[in-house]
Amino acid sequence: MSGPGSVQLEGVLKRHGETTVLHGVDLAIQPGEFFVLLGPSGSGKTTTLRILAGLETVSAGRVLMDGQDVTHREPGARDVAMVFQSYALYPHMTVAKNIGFPLKMIGTPGHEIERQVAEAAARVDISHLLARKPGQLSGGQQQRCALARAIVRKPRLFLLDEPLSNLDAKLRLETRLELHALQRGLGTTTVYVTHDQEEAMTLADRIAVFMEGRIAQVGTPREVFSKPMTMAVAGFVGTPQMNFMPGTWEGASITVDGHALPVGRSAPASRDVVLGVRPNDLVLTSNGLPARVERVEDLGDSAIVSVTSGGKRFKLKGPAQPHVKSADDVFLSFAPDMAHLFDPQSGARL
Amino acid sequence: MRSRSGIRRLALAMVAGFGLAVWVMPIVWGLLTSFKTERDVLAYPPVWLFKPTLDNYYEVIFGATSILPNLISSLVITMSATLVTMAFAIPAAYALARLRFPAKQASGFYVLATQMLPPVGLIIPYYLALQRIGGLDTYSGLTLIYLTFSLPFAIWLMVSYFEDIPYEMEEAALLDRAGRLRTLLYVILPQVRGGIAVTAIFVFLNAWNEFMFAVVLGGNRVRPVTVAMFNFISVEQTQWSKLAAAAMLAMAPVIIIGILAQRHIVKGLTFGAVKGGGRR
Repeated sequence: MSGPGSVQLEGVLKRHGETTVLHGVDLAIQPGEFFVLLGPSGSGKTTTLRILAGLETVSAGRVLMDGQDVTHREPGARDVAMVFQSYALYPHMTVAKNIGFPLKMIGTPGHEIERQVAEAAARVDISHLLARKPGQLSGGQQQRCALARAIVRKPRLFLLDEPLSNLDAKLRLETRLELHALQRGLGTTTVYVTHDQEEAMTLADRIAVFMEGRIAQVGTPREVFSKPMTMAVAGFVGTPQMNFMPGTWEGASITVDGHALPVGRSAPASRDVVLGVRPNDLVLTSNGLPARVERVEDLGDSAIVSVTSGGKRFKLKGPAQPHVKSADDVFLSFAPDMAHLFDPQSGARL
Repeated sequence: MRSRSGIRRLALAMVAGFGLAVWVMPIVWGLLTSFKTERDVLAYPPVWLFKPTLDNYYEVIFGATSILPNLISSLVITMSATLVTMAFAIPAAYALARLRFPAKQASGFYVLATQMLPPVGLIIPYYLALQRIGGLDTYSGLTLIYLTFSLPFAIWLMVSYFEDIPYEMEEAALLDRAGRLRTLLYVILPQVRGGIAVTAIFVFLNAWNEFMFAVVLGGNRVRPVTVAMFNFISVEQTQWSKLAAAAMLAMAPVIIIGILAQRHIVKGLTFGAVKGGGRR
């Protein structure tokens, strides 16, 4: 747990005046892990990252790195490097000077700075831009420059705050792959903040899902997707979002609007539940929950069918060109194992 | 369409020309006067064609009524006021822009409030204070008084330049182990170079042109050029041509700086109008 590059948060609480931003966060990040903090805006993920960087103080709790308590250490004394959302490049310095700045600050000799800058620049493929200033670079190049400035120091921890959010969609996909490869190559523990669940799913070894200043779930992308621990997580992870149907669980089926839908487990006792089914798991069949097709969105390789049933709207994602059209009457069903059951009051997974 | 825009431009040029004429008239009149003999100055109706002479300049530079020592006086006071002002204004403005400390807002208001007081109301207290500490008719005394208005002005101007730098840049420098002081030196100050230049120029010009405090708190030893020009006005007569020559010499540094730093000064004056509107 406390090997080189391990990070722990113990009961970290953060208040801004009357508002509590983080309600006691506990987290253990393994050495070399690509760890993503995922959540909607205002959920506390960026605050957590800034606490790791030392840019925010904690109101209570401890931050440990390699087993050492660094809670009250200055940002510069933590041996962490951060890539900001805005990149925060120094506009009056060339790319080379920007990348070399952290080395200069620790008194590295000039020729050594030059060598390491060249090495870091080559890693992110910007060797040809070293003489330019940040204002002369494209968004993607600026982002690479910020990355090079972070890796040149060989820190024990990388902190990345939505580094891809300012790039266009195509570049974002490319950079995502490169970022993953870069992290794997360096083997440095990385904490990455994003609100984009697709980014989190593709990059992370493990994800911590933040909801309203609390960690709702920690797990591998597969775990978070296939076994969400709360309704909030289930609703946040996955596009289109999970369909929720309130019903009564009795025996091995759930009754929704008077229609019994089989599920994989038997109820210990009859009770109200919220049934969750992912759009991919919902299918159109000849019997099940009756519904009416509202809209069909053809995405080329797949299609999203919006249906209404009992006054509620559900979405299905299936193969392209479904054989239904608006106003068709259909039936919905799903494989019993694909049902997610949640407590209607607490939202917790049953 | 074309003729309409032509008329528009012509009208604009006429308005601008008129404004410029009104502004430039006293300076041109002064310049002409400085090359006239006293007889030509007093001629009525005024003569437009005259034989120019450099006697007035020779007299005010090398003659008995030389203003050279006064120009040096002005330079000493102005330079020291500018240097001391900037030395204090830069860290103070940075602190006001960035750091969180108790009474930050109050101190910000205090800085501005000192600008609201009418200077003439301060002359007597300043006189008494300087008299008490032996600062009347001394360079240090007058410099100290100039600081009382130049420092708040410089701080107020510099704060907006510091505030314009994204805070994340400072955080990045802190993470790069620069520390507070080196962050200021390596990351922040190079980016507010323009602001520093503008502020220093304004402080310099204000101090160079100052008259009221200089005439009351100065004396025989410390007499800036603005005050010395008054020597040419007496009860018996006014030596208009020498006064004009002295005025032209006193104006020269202001005009030279104005021309050299024109671009920066305009930027400084319009600063805030397009805040966040782009890279400076």
